[in-house]
Amino acid sequence: MEILWFGILAVLLAGYFALEGFDIGVGLLLPFTAERDRAVGAIAPFVLANEVWLVGIAGVLFGAFPMLEGEVLSGLYPVVVGLLVSWIVRDAGLWFRRRLDGEGWRSFWTAAVAAGSLGLALSWGGVIAGITGAPALLGVGYGVVVAVAFAFHGWAFLAWRLPGEAAAQGAARTGRALALSAAVAAAPIVVPLVALASEVLDRAAPSETLSVLSLMVLPVVPLMAAAQIWVWRVFRRGAVPTFF
Amino acid sequence: MDVLDLARLQFAVTGSLHFLFVALTLGLAPLVAIMNTRYVLGGNPEHERMTRFWGQIYVTNYALGIVTGLVMEFQFGLSWSGLTHYAGDVFGAPMAIETLVAFFLESTFLGLWIFGWHRLPKWLHLACIWLVALTAYASAFWIMVANSFLQNPAGATVRGDRLALTDFGALLSNPTLVMALPHVLAAGLLTAGCVLMSAGAYQLFRRTAERAFFTTSLRIGAVTAFVGAFLTVGFGYAQFGTVRSVQPDKWSANSLAGAGLGTMQTIGELLLLITFLLLVTIKWLPRRRWAQTVIMLITPFPFLALILGWIAREEGRQPWLVYGKLTVADALTPGLTQGRITLSFVAFAGVLGLLAVVDYLLIARLIRRGPALIALGEQPAPQPVLTF
Repeated sequence: MEILWFGILAVLLAGYFALEGFDIGVGLLLPFTAERDRAVGAIAPFVLANEVWLVGIAGVLFGAFPMLEGEVLSGLYPVVVGLLVSWIVRDAGLWFRRRLDGEGWRSFWTAAVAAGSLGLALSWGGVIAGITGAPALLGVGYGVVVAVAFAFHGWAFLAWRLPGEAAAQGAARTGRALALSAAVAAAPIVVPLVALASEVLDRAAPSETLSVLSLMVLPVVPLMAAAQIWVWRVFRRGAVPTFF
Repeated sequence: MDVLDLARLQFAVTGSLHFLFVALTLGLAPLVAIMNTRYVLGGNPEHERMTRFWGQIYVTNYALGIVTGLVMEFQFGLSWSGLTHYAGDVFGAPMAIETLVAFFLESTFLGLWIFGWHRLPKWLHLACIWLVALTAYASAFWIMVANSFLQNPAGATVRGDRLALTDFGALLSNPTLVMALPHVLAAGLLTAGCVLMSAGAYQLFRRTAERAFFTTSLRIGAVTAFVGAFLTVGFGYAQFGTVRSVQPDKWSANSLAGAGLGTMQTIGELLLLITFLLLVTIKWLPRRRWAQTVIMLITPFPFLALILGWIAREEGRQPWLVYGKLTVADALTPGLTQGRITLSFVAFAGVLGLLAVVDYLLIARLIRRGPALIALGEQPAPQPVLTF
């Protein structure tokens, strides 16, 4: 049962990096592209479905690995606060940037998206360095690695979603290229997770709790997967929405 | 203030902000879903405008609900790791189920609804908003299961130095849950009803050109607010017996809890009376400017009552975090420093407070602008011709 819930945690973490990775990556690329509205529009219909994977991760930590949750979050207090504030700023940028007309307003919140995305990538470096016990300085370096991986993934996503447009010059537009960049984005979390597997497993909740969780959550997994696939089927092509 | 006070204040501030937005979300979700249903069934373009106008207010409000909720979810591990250590095997289960079974789906379907206008078939698009409403209510259920466990730790026994889950059914049938859940959901309806009614009253007061549109908003709001007020007050009184048996000195031992309760009751009863009077005069409301003034003036009160209700419920179990088992002081993360909690308090309260103000100003502006220019559900612009 612990193995099953470790598997769920691992899938959620890898999925978060592979999916939210391109949203954060596109955010990082915004200062370097002229077509910001098109780039934001490309990720817009995916963001809500992608970022929620991290909420799921928090939930699984809380329910299935409560000892780990307390240890990790409180142990990495400043980094986790930085991660949350970055996330909030990025989301606020997305929700607000088109709510008023005017160049200044939109540029300000676009900058918030970019700054929040950078904060997210760097904080993830800090979190991963923290859980592997690496020194803080190494966390900054690892954050840069995460940021580069996400930016690469974001660039591949834009090439796939907006083929031929200025926002994504030069990248291959195939689904295979996108899958490859997703693997690159997920690598920074998958590698340390495999290394730490036994330590995570030691902190699992007792079997009564895991049974209840399995009973309640597993029947809904097909619906969760179907909803995620539906998002991709609906928004993979066609006009770029203008709500965000 | 010491570390414990700051950690409590941080939770109270972020939690109160979260609740202001979430309660309106819970109330608006079924109303927007009903508007959307009327549009899909009848094809009346006025119903489409109604859905898009209130839908945009709904999603603008929702944005702050998400970001404040993130902070709530992570705060348990950040500053209250004593709770996850002692009771995580029990308390964590409903929290995990909420994130995976409810919020994960809610967020995914909301994205499909926001961006799926003119892209999904109308029936599937409609199904999305109903799924959003349903999962929002499921979220409220699981969060209230978790909160009720803190009020009355049913279904768990002490094993070693930690609590173990022994009876999941008892967690779900907790007496502190049964009447409190409908009380909270009805308060959300009351709040949303007041917002609809007040937006209508404001526009009619300004002699809007969209008279029919805002007359409808005013009337839907008036009916919803009365139903919400009636159920909120009813399920509020229904809780007293349970509270007396589970936490006998809840209202007397802590002056803040008692004051919160008393003020909330007064507001609730006045709102019930006022919304009843508005309901029986509903036919004349669109033409009575003094009534429109009254409606606008009462809008802040359901929000105030929401916060007071939580203060009463949470202050009333002090000094316990898990009633009778774990004190708030013992739940604080060991070794949490003044510097760290000050940093996070300033960051969370500052950023979320500012965003909340911006968000409310945007909602006010949406109401002022009326249904003529609504970004949500706009017809997409034609694809630009690719030039190489």
